[in-house]
Amino acid sequence: MKADTLVIGYGNADRQDDGVGWHILKNLAERVGQQVPEDPGAPIEIENETVDLIFLLQIIPELAEMISHYKRVCFVDAHTADISEEISWIKLHPEYERSPLTHHMSPKTVLSISAIIYGSAPEAVLVSVRGFSFEFSQALSPQTATLSQEAVEKIWSWIITRSPSP
Amino acid sequence: MVAQKITIEPVTRIEGHAKVTINMNDNGSVDHAYFHVNEFRGFEKFCEGRMVFEMPSITPRICGICPVSHHLAAAKAGDRLMGVEPPHTANLLRELMHMGQIIQSHGMHFFQLSGPDLILGFDSDPATRNVVGLIDADPELTVRAVELRKYGQDIIYQVGGRRIHPNFAVPGGVNRALTADKREHMLAGIDKAIETTQIGLQLMKDWADANIEDIEKFAVFHTGYFGLVTPENGLELYDGDIRLVDREGDELELFSAQNYLDIIAERVLDWSYLKFPYYKKMGWPDGVYRVGPLGRLNACDKIDTPMAQEEWLTYRKLNDGKPVFQTLYYHYARLIETLFAIERTREILDDPDLLGNDILNRRFDFQGEGVGVIEAPRGTLLHHYWAKPNGQLERVNLIVSTGHNNWAMSEAVDSVAKTYVKGPEVQEGMLNRVEAAIRAYDPCLSCSTHAIGQMPIVIDVHDSKGNLVQTLKRS
Repeated sequence: MKADTLVIGYGNADRQDDGVGWHILKNLAERVGQQVPEDPGAPIEIENETVDLIFLLQIIPELAEMISHYKRVCFVDAHTADISEEISWIKLHPEYERSPLTHHMSPKTVLSISAIIYGSAPEAVLVSVRGFSFEFSQALSPQTATLSQEAVEKIWSWIITRSPSP
Repeated sequence: MVAQKITIEPVTRIEGHAKVTINMNDNGSVDHAYFHVNEFRGFEKFCEGRMVFEMPSITPRICGICPVSHHLAAAKAGDRLMGVEPPHTANLLRELMHMGQIIQSHGMHFFQLSGPDLILGFDSDPATRNVVGLIDADPELTVRAVELRKYGQDIIYQVGGRRIHPNFAVPGGVNRALTADKREHMLAGIDKAIETTQIGLQLMKDWADANIEDIEKFAVFHTGYFGLVTPENGLELYDGDIRLVDREGDELELFSAQNYLDIIAERVLDWSYLKFPYYKKMGWPDGVYRVGPLGRLNACDKIDTPMAQEEWLTYRKLNDGKPVFQTLYYHYARLIETLFAIERTREILDDPDLLGNDILNRRFDFQGEGVGVIEAPRGTLLHHYWAKPNGQLERVNLIVSTGHNNWAMSEAVDSVAKTYVKGPEVQEGMLNRVEAAIRAYDPCLSCSTHAIGQMPIVIDVHDSKGNLVQTLKRS
């Protein structure tokens, strides 16, 4: 790690708007002078003095240790119409959320494991952008593409100003 | 009492990996239960038109949990399609990475997903029936469990250079040799990984002794068993022929993965998007079989590493040398395989050829078609590609591990529901057992989307007229 701030994007970039996190991270990477392959979903693991960036298909347990070394973490994902805001910004607290059937893990759960096993959980936010289409494609829907630009500005402001919210 | 229908399902369509429907009789007992996979897999179509050399990079995106299995199966299909045999060192490195995947996946499953049920109890408070509860119950074991998974993940990183999606195996070999310092680093973690796995094995065996009645009535049924074997019918996870044995353990088939279409067929049922593979000669449903840890340990005649072999002998004594058919022993089989994977890791690391630089064979003899097979943590994974002479894919067929076990998971859900679920007021612990029947198979349904707002599980209880009479919900 080079920075004390980490942005974690996650989702499936082959399922249209589910991969909005990848597109946002690509934009953030360019702002810190890093190039990312044009192929949506291509791995992003960047360490930089301003912010570290990582993109994943889904949240995995190893993140618990990784985030324990940071002061601030921002999770970036898509959301469905169940959330009313088009760009949702939520401050997260550690809380174990059980997924009974599958391997899915939530950001709150990772924070919980980080706090319990590694003794510290960073200040964390979850930024989610509304997805409109989840078909087999690497292109964002026009609506989500527009929202993703707005989300980039908000996250960048959070990184630079170090304020708790945009 | 009126008939009820209970549905356990995710709230929205797109997170729709799976759901469970339980139809109840008028007398409060279960009439039948189904395990539905309601996510359409469109990945094969998505891959058509891509180049065969891209597939080891594209297919890991099918799954965020076992990307290495898809990565290696894609490279192996590419080997066959391009008519090229990877050098010995490349095969060792690929297998080493695969052992890392087995260790991390199995370690996570036992200690973090199923462990809470076994250690804390199926009926314990769901709020603490998880890693948090495990930490309270046994903090040292929990930290060890996390370290075991991390060790497996670290092998993938040391070999492939990336923590998550390695860009490593290619048709003809691999693109990165191993250095001596990395080899020493991996060797240093072996003893502790073995120790943790042995703790898990003792825990499992103690639990089995104390809960034998549950084991003997929890999703108990016979099938065939299916898995890769060595030329001497030993347990094999990376390469080899596929062996299919019947419920008595007698060999039905021993065949090359290239011929899988001659041996297995897939049944489509109208209540699931996931197809149901079965053994052609026996037909549907007599030809159903199981894959994964239980399937593999029943399909082989031995294990070629000493500690795992000792445990395998104990395992096979459970049914007097016959295949072990009780679903809850999947957990035991998973731990034995973890032990094997760690021992095999040491063997590979000790192989003098491992640090060689002959890692890529570019002498292609284009075949136009190829099947790649590997034993993913959850079972046999098949990638089958057809390509034009320029390497552009014309057709792709994937049979994922979870697919092979589709019938067994449905049967397990039905069996457990009938055994444990009683109406009219359905208790959380009853439904947890139904979920545990699915968890035993460790299904990987994460080829779907993962957006926020998708994961809550609701359990609706309807009476025979469709009225909602009970809802249980948790995230």
